[in-house]
Amino acid sequence: MGRYILRRLLQMIPTLLAVAALIFLIFSVLPGSFAGTMTGGGRRALSPELVAQINAQFGLDKPLPVRFWDYLVRLAQFDLGTSFRTREPVVDLIAARIWPSLQLALSAMALAVTVGIPLGFLAAMRPGSLLDSITMIGAVSGLSMPQFWLGLLLMYVFALQLGWLPSFGYGDGRLRNLILPAIALGFAPLALLARTTRAGVLEVMGSDHIRTAMAKGTSPAQMIRWHVLRNVMVLIVTTLGLQIGSLLGQALVIEKLFSWPGLGSLMVDSVAIRDIPVVQGTILVIVLWFLVINVLVDVIYAVIDPRISLR
Amino acid sequence: MIMRATIGALLLAGTALCAPAAWAQDVQRGGTLNFTAPYGSSVGTLDITASAEVQTEIVAHAMHRSLYKWNPETGKPEPDLFTDVTISDDGLVYTYKLRDDAVFHNDKPFTADDVIYSYNRIATPATASPSANFISRIKGFEDVQGGSATEMSGLKKIDNHTLEITFTASQDPGFDLMQNYVPIYPSNVEGDTQATQPVGLGPFRFVEHVPGSRVSFERFEGFFGEDDQPYLDRLNILIMGEAAARDVAFRNQEIDVSVLGSQQYQEYQADPDLSKGLLEVAELFTRVVGFDTTKPPFDDKRVRQAVNYGIDKDLIIDRLVKGKAFPAVGFMPTTSPAFDPDAQGYAYDPEKAKALLEEAGHADGIDLPVIANQNESWGAPIVEAIIPMLAKANIRASVEPVENAVLEDRITAGNFTAFIWSLSSGPDPLNILRCFYSKTAQSACNYTKFSNPEVDKLYEAAQQERDEAKRNDLIRQADGIIREEAPYWFFNYNKAVMAHQPWVHGLRGNPQELAIQDYDKIWIDDTAPADRKPQ
Amino acid sequence: MRMPFRLNLTLGLALVSLVILGAVFAPLLTPHDPILDADLMNSEMPPSWDHWFGTDSQGRDVFARVLYGARVSLTIGIVAQAINSTIGIALGLSAGYWGGWWDDVVNGLTNLMLAIPSLVFALAIMAVLGPGVPSLLIALGLTNWSWSCRITRSAVMSLKSQGYVQAARTLGYGDIRIMLTQLLPNIVGPVLVMATLGIGEAVLAEAALSFLGLGIRPPAPSWGNMLTDAREAIRSVPWATIFPGLAVFVTVLGFNLLGDGMRDWLDPRMQVRA
Repeated sequence: MGRYILRRLLQMIPTLLAVAALIFLIFSVLPGSFAGTMTGGGRRALSPELVAQINAQFGLDKPLPVRFWDYLVRLAQFDLGTSFRTREPVVDLIAARIWPSLQLALSAMALAVTVGIPLGFLAAMRPGSLLDSITMIGAVSGLSMPQFWLGLLLMYVFALQLGWLPSFGYGDGRLRNLILPAIALGFAPLALLARTTRAGVLEVMGSDHIRTAMAKGTSPAQMIRWHVLRNVMVLIVTTLGLQIGSLLGQALVIEKLFSWPGLGSLMVDSVAIRDIPVVQGTILVIVLWFLVINVLVDVIYAVIDPRISLR
Repeated sequence: MIMRATIGALLLAGTALCAPAAWAQDVQRGGTLNFTAPYGSSVGTLDITASAEVQTEIVAHAMHRSLYKWNPETGKPEPDLFTDVTISDDGLVYTYKLRDDAVFHNDKPFTADDVIYSYNRIATPATASPSANFISRIKGFEDVQGGSATEMSGLKKIDNHTLEITFTASQDPGFDLMQNYVPIYPSNVEGDTQATQPVGLGPFRFVEHVPGSRVSFERFEGFFGEDDQPYLDRLNILIMGEAAARDVAFRNQEIDVSVLGSQQYQEYQADPDLSKGLLEVAELFTRVVGFDTTKPPFDDKRVRQAVNYGIDKDLIIDRLVKGKAFPAVGFMPTTSPAFDPDAQGYAYDPEKAKALLEEAGHADGIDLPVIANQNESWGAPIVEAIIPMLAKANIRASVEPVENAVLEDRITAGNFTAFIWSLSSGPDPLNILRCFYSKTAQSACNYTKFSNPEVDKLYEAAQQERDEAKRNDLIRQADGIIREEAPYWFFNYNKAVMAHQPWVHGLRGNPQELAIQDYDKIWIDDTAPADRKPQ
Repeated sequence: MRMPFRLNLTLGLALVSLVILGAVFAPLLTPHDPILDADLMNSEMPPSWDHWFGTDSQGRDVFARVLYGARVSLTIGIVAQAINSTIGIALGLSAGYWGGWWDDVVNGLTNLMLAIPSLVFALAIMAVLGPGVPSLLIALGLTNWSWSCRITRSAVMSLKSQGYVQAARTLGYGDIRIMLTQLLPNIVGPVLVMATLGIGEAVLAEAALSFLGLGIRPPAPSWGNMLTDAREAIRSVPWATIFPGLAVFVTVLGFNLLGDGMRDWLDPRMQVRA
């Protein structure tokens, strides 16, 4: 197992390198420049000396291949470079954002798991029932709403009309502040999990060995516990893994809307002001998270179902 | 329809909102203020000398002080870190008597060394400071920038509290040295640490920065201001770039102060409670569509005038900007001392616009592609609104939306036919007129490549003129020519609006930037929510 | 007990048809022009007989903009998804059929695309290309093909050893011909399901990119920029946000239900046996 994990982790390196190269290329042809934003939005004149100084300080006056090489050399030393905007190491900026980002992503997932999976089971118990129809239509609806629209609606209802919860911000990580953005972010994975669970349960229930067990007189409760659960688990873990892995990247709209200080809003802001080292750094971290979760999911497979062997 | 209020009247309209409450009640000390930083969802660096962002300025103004300070009531710089100044006859040498009661947050007493250290640090090319422009008139600046010196020869310490500064031009240095972007840092603190652990001599001491969320401060007991200032125990600056979220948070009383966009301005005005807490001010910003005056057909003044006649700006301001702007007459805003109260702007006259175009030989119309960002008051929505209006005058306008970073890059590179932007038009009118001087580089601020011999002559004369009234007369004449030449479509002067909760007192209408408030003068009464009210 | 699935298909088909009909017959359904009929004197008017969905801040008819916006949103959704599917099928077919180093390359590419969240990738591409419909088509069309590629590849791998493919090979059919005539028809079903669901995703992605300031060029109507422009006025001018919001919802719901229904229909294992 240990060797397997190590090998999988090593396999991430080429993917990360490819991502690094790809985003370096994309952002080297990006129009607009950080030095250009020094007019402060029409507030002051831009001096050519300043532009030259900034470009010299950040090595932007060097030719592209040299910059790419420098970038790779730094990456190999786990150095993500220096932010143009704050002039601090990118690693420091990202470190400050990781915990809020994880907090939001994991709460959203927790919500999706605790509500979505039971709902899926319930719906599958009585296929075609009113509960089933409502759950499934609700689930599809949840996947069909623009995220920021849902977030705005939640804000207006729960923060403004009812006054139950704060409408925005990190609030030093208090649970109260977390609830609305977590719901807005967790709604789509919740719907997806409910659907997946239901489909999985129905499939397993329809399979031959369950029907044999039923014929033998195993009670439905026992059956769910022993037969269905394990088989459905594989499906759920797959869906869950993909969702958790991509949640950091999907959170950017919700983070912007709720002024949540996560990696997504750091990335969007940095793109806007052309703070390229920070953009590259955040994307790399988001990708790394996805890859690590993927390895984790494969390991969990093996734990749930010994029949799946680790290659 | 056209607003022709004087500086005083407009400012009074602003401060009057707060003043009666302040007289009626005694000032209370203590409590926490939740202020908002509305221009984006993060504060880049806490070192204001490394940033050109207002977002950072909002934060820095709590902690730092500059040599001069801006008085929003008089519209002029006044002494802050010095008590007295003597000026040489040629207007080049200033001898400052510095305050002897100012102390930094690290207990270091303020001396002439700190000023010299701070200015030299900004001038050093390795610092790559965007603030360098503001100290560029100090003698020896060029040498430091060029690398032939490490210290500016124009800075001379006479004794601990006497400083002599030699300038290369006789212009009043106050407008530059009052900027929050040139603060005085303590000379015994490494400059680089200011980005994360700022130390200044302002009214509030830095406590904590939660990136993307808030910056917190506490009262600095050693502040040199009046005895009981600052009034507040704590100050939180909450970072909230999303206007819709700010709106909900303000109505929810989670924040004490919010800067409003036009949509919210209209809604708050209509609300019987919220309308009581509105602070309005005519800001020194002019919103324009700028033409490349060297590019046909816009090299012809008649074409540029046609655009000015072809747009009903009053209607746009009334309906789309919801009255949150003043229709522009020319470039200098109503609050500028160089504003001409008798000037006539361009009235909406599509027939005249058409006639002017025909006269200029464009009977079959012209194309007007405008690059724009997303701003509601000076961006793509405004261009959308002028498209149907100009269509009637045979001008085919179109909008090319770009990100702000691209907009700024393209404007300063001259890569446009026309652009829409908000330009600073104060507080020093001479500095503003420099942007119409033909020798000013396009990238510096002569964005339209404006060149007019008469304006050049007037600018050169105003530069030499030491008498303020006469100087403003010269600038006013030049502004008249600029109005006639129309390098811009003069759209509006910004009306900035700040909403505050009823328990907040002491806010002032700052026409330079309303979001920059003197936090030491703000106090809150005990009707504030329990977690923030004075104990 | 097969009701919910048929409901999926029927309801999905009905909603999608409604949106498509609205887009196609927009000029017949409203006398207003979505761009030129702007009258500032008449802005932010509530719904009335003349303006069924009211008017927006520029005084334009919201109903007309929603209808014409359907053209934009559907074009973006369908074309972007067609690009995705074409890339996914082409790569998946060839990788699954030929295997070897090409398979490794495609696999690497697919993993790369899966690892970068598609919204992040699309945002980067939009920033480079600038706002506009062509940029959106590229940004959304190049970033969401990895799933159709994976599905195609695994289907082809299991199909290619089957008798009829071998038979075609012995008949001397070329590789391309075998891929197009023997393999493609067998994988069209699942890929079509993916594509249908993907259209909904693309419509949502357009709204998200608009919110982040990187949508289509105004004054052309798209639901994303209508929502974004009017979001601050949700209290005083609710109709300018509610109707485009509903339009997005109905469209994406329609495509999702349709995709679901098609999946159930194509994959009998998923049907409930009561």
